Amino acid sequence: MTVKVPAVRSNRVIVKAHTLRIEEERFGWKLILPSVIIIGSLIIYPIIYNMYLSLFDVKLQGANIYIGLQNYKNVLTDPSFWHAVLTTFIYVIGTTIGTTLIGLGVALVMVKNFPFRSLVRALILLPYIAPVISVVFSWQFFFDPVNGLFMHVTYDMLHLFEKRFSLIGSPQNAVIVAIIFNIWRSFPFSYLMILSRLQSIDNSGYEAAEIDGASSWQKFRYITFPELYFVIGSIVILRVIWNFNKFEDVYLLTDNVKVLSVYTYFKAFTGVMDQGQGAALALIQFLLLIGFILFYVKKVLKW
Amino acid sequence: MKKPTMFLVVLLLTLAVTVGVFATGKQEKKPASIEFWTTETQSSRVSTIQTLVDIFQGINPEIKISVVPVDENDMPKQVAASSAAGNLPAIAETGSENSIDFGSSGLLDMKEATKIINSIGKSAFYAGPLSMLESPNKGSYYALPYHGWIQGLWYRSDWFKNAGLNPPNTWESIEKAAKTFYKPDKNQYGILVGTKAENYAEQCFTQIAISNKARIFTSDGKLIFNSPAMKEAVQYYAKLAKYNPPGPQTWRARDYYIQQKMAMFFYSTYIMDDLALADVAASSLTAKNFKNLKGASFDSNLVTQTGFAPIITHKQPSSYGVIVALNIFKQKKAADTAAAEKFIKYMYTEDAYVTFLHMAPGGMNPVIKKIAASDKFMNDPKGIFKKYGKKKIQSIIAGLEDIKRFGIVGGKLIPQYGKIFSQKIIPQMIYKITQENADVDKSMSWAEGEMKKIVE
Repeated sequence: MTVKVPAVRSNRVIVKAHTLRIEEERFGWKLILPSVIIIGSLIIYPIIYNMYLSLFDVKLQGANIYIGLQNYKNVLTDPSFWHAVLTTFIYVIGTTIGTTLIGLGVALVMVKNFPFRSLVRALILLPYIAPVISVVFSWQFFFDPVNGLFMHVTYDMLHLFEKRFSLIGSPQNAVIVAIIFNIWRSFPFSYLMILSRLQSIDNSGYEAAEIDGASSWQKFRYITFPELYFVIGSIVILRVIWNFNKFEDVYLLTDNVKVLSVYTYFKAFTGVMDQGQGAALALIQFLLLIGFILFYVKKVLKW
Repeated sequence: MKKPTMFLVVLLLTLAVTVGVFATGKQEKKPASIEFWTTETQSSRVSTIQTLVDIFQGINPEIKISVVPVDENDMPKQVAASSAAGNLPAIAETGSENSIDFGSSGLLDMKEATKIINSIGKSAFYAGPLSMLESPNKGSYYALPYHGWIQGLWYRSDWFKNAGLNPPNTWESIEKAAKTFYKPDKNQYGILVGTKAENYAEQCFTQIAISNKARIFTSDGKLIFNSPAMKEAVQYYAKLAKYNPPGPQTWRARDYYIQQKMAMFFYSTYIMDDLALADVAASSLTAKNFKNLKGASFDSNLVTQTGFAPIITHKQPSSYGVIVALNIFKQKKAADTAAAEKFIKYMYTEDAYVTFLHMAPGGMNPVIKKIAASDKFMNDPKGIFKKYGKKKIQSIIAGLEDIKRFGIVGGKLIPQYGKIFSQKIIPQMIYKITQENADVDKSMSWAEGEMKKIVE
């Protein structure tokens, strides 16, 4: 025998459930509203305003003039833009490979037990936690062509070079110094991430490999590396994002290395102060980065 | 009406009248909060300026002044940004080129500046500095001249004497001396000229270019940058840059001179205290930090072994200097402009003015005749003026009367030059040529193209 629920009561239950869902949704919206407002005003609005500005000849005094896609055309036909893109690629590839490999190497050493390991581990973090401006000044003193320690050792003492030169100041060498500086400053981050993963690898795999007579390389290749694959993958993508937009390290150390962020700064805030082109450049830089991330996530991280 | 109610009404009326009376009284001294931007960014100078401001605020409690130090190279973009944001400071201390740039962009309250100049009295100022800030509409001023310096070549007179060389005051004598003293294998360099894309490079270059009669504009404002005379000056400058210390250089490299590693350098009279005082020099780049390195010791006799060549002659004599001005920006509130006026007048009073100038004896020279002649000014706390002597100081101040700039041709001021200076077109060109080995003709064409964008 089936019990018939009166239609009115059933409707009431549906309506009540419906109302409850709506209220829950409203409550949910109320909860996330502060975040939506903050993200909207601090991230979405500047991006949209940047896109809007890129369509104008921006006048710092007076009204802006609408010029359509002219800023993009000017940027893409400017050889110095493509030079900046090339410099950025060299910088990003050099620093990403350098920080990851050195971070990996140091982590592999630091995972072993040895006296004063904790002290050494703490010291390795120093370049990463020191304020960038103080570190930059130290490097500038170090490489000063007349009084710097680098020239004193390599030229005065070891006679490695024919004459003194400014390693940081020279437009030809500056990008190499900027890469070395970033590797030195940022490798502790990669080291920390890799070390934390290394410490959680189960030792039984290594013991089994040892019984099978595996060499150190084989243990690294077939046990350690697969365990580290996604950590290294994440480090690479983070480093690419950070270094693609890196400004302060490069600009403070030397204004000779025109990576995209520095090039954009010079376009927008110095010389003829072309802020419309600056906005177009920022958007192009954003699109280049998004393109890389999509490719990387799909092909390398296989998410 | 009940008694308590009556009492309350009477009390309220009394209060209203009293407040009204006080409010009316306060209208004479409207509260104002303004910003004073200064290019004196060194902490000791900022604290001196802050002391001057504190005293002013003590006398005028209704006015609040915030002191904001801004690097001179950043000033144009900071002003542009705050103008775009509708948030301009009331007063800014900048070089006269920047004043002309801001004034011709319509940012300055020129009426107010002219009014204060007239109230102080035009005849109280030295005529040269005042004329550098006079707009093409005669009698109207972009800003108020406040202090100034002149530039020249500071050189090791004892080295020159021993080598039998003439003082570096002609193209030939400068080049010959730079070549003679350039001994890079001994870590010694011939000269310092600016090669980094900063204002310093333009300051050095201007004096050389004008000595070759090379100009950027004709007196009627026509752009003539890419001329044979200018090319000759650029080539000569690039030649001198070969005797520089390695790498792109700016004024900071004057420390190499103090360390006795350089024979001569372009610099303003700001160097006088560094040369005269061992303690000032010790705080400099490396004398203290690298005392084990060769030649890093400080020679306290440097002041007597240093000569100054303020005039360079080639086709004509050329001197260079900068007048630093107090700019009054247009304000939304009349009370803020009134506060700026009051503060500026205070800054010209003898005590405040001399205190300000003594922050950099020799570098900051007065533009008011009475102050230049006063004993109070000559008696600087570090005793630097005494080391140089009154005659030398007076001759430096007199030099302010005759400084030559790209922006003034035949006594006529060309406002567009202010923008060319602010945008560092010439320093960028110099950097391309001396550091990137760019072709002189191509770099000059590039610079002229950039200038045309501004002029047209």
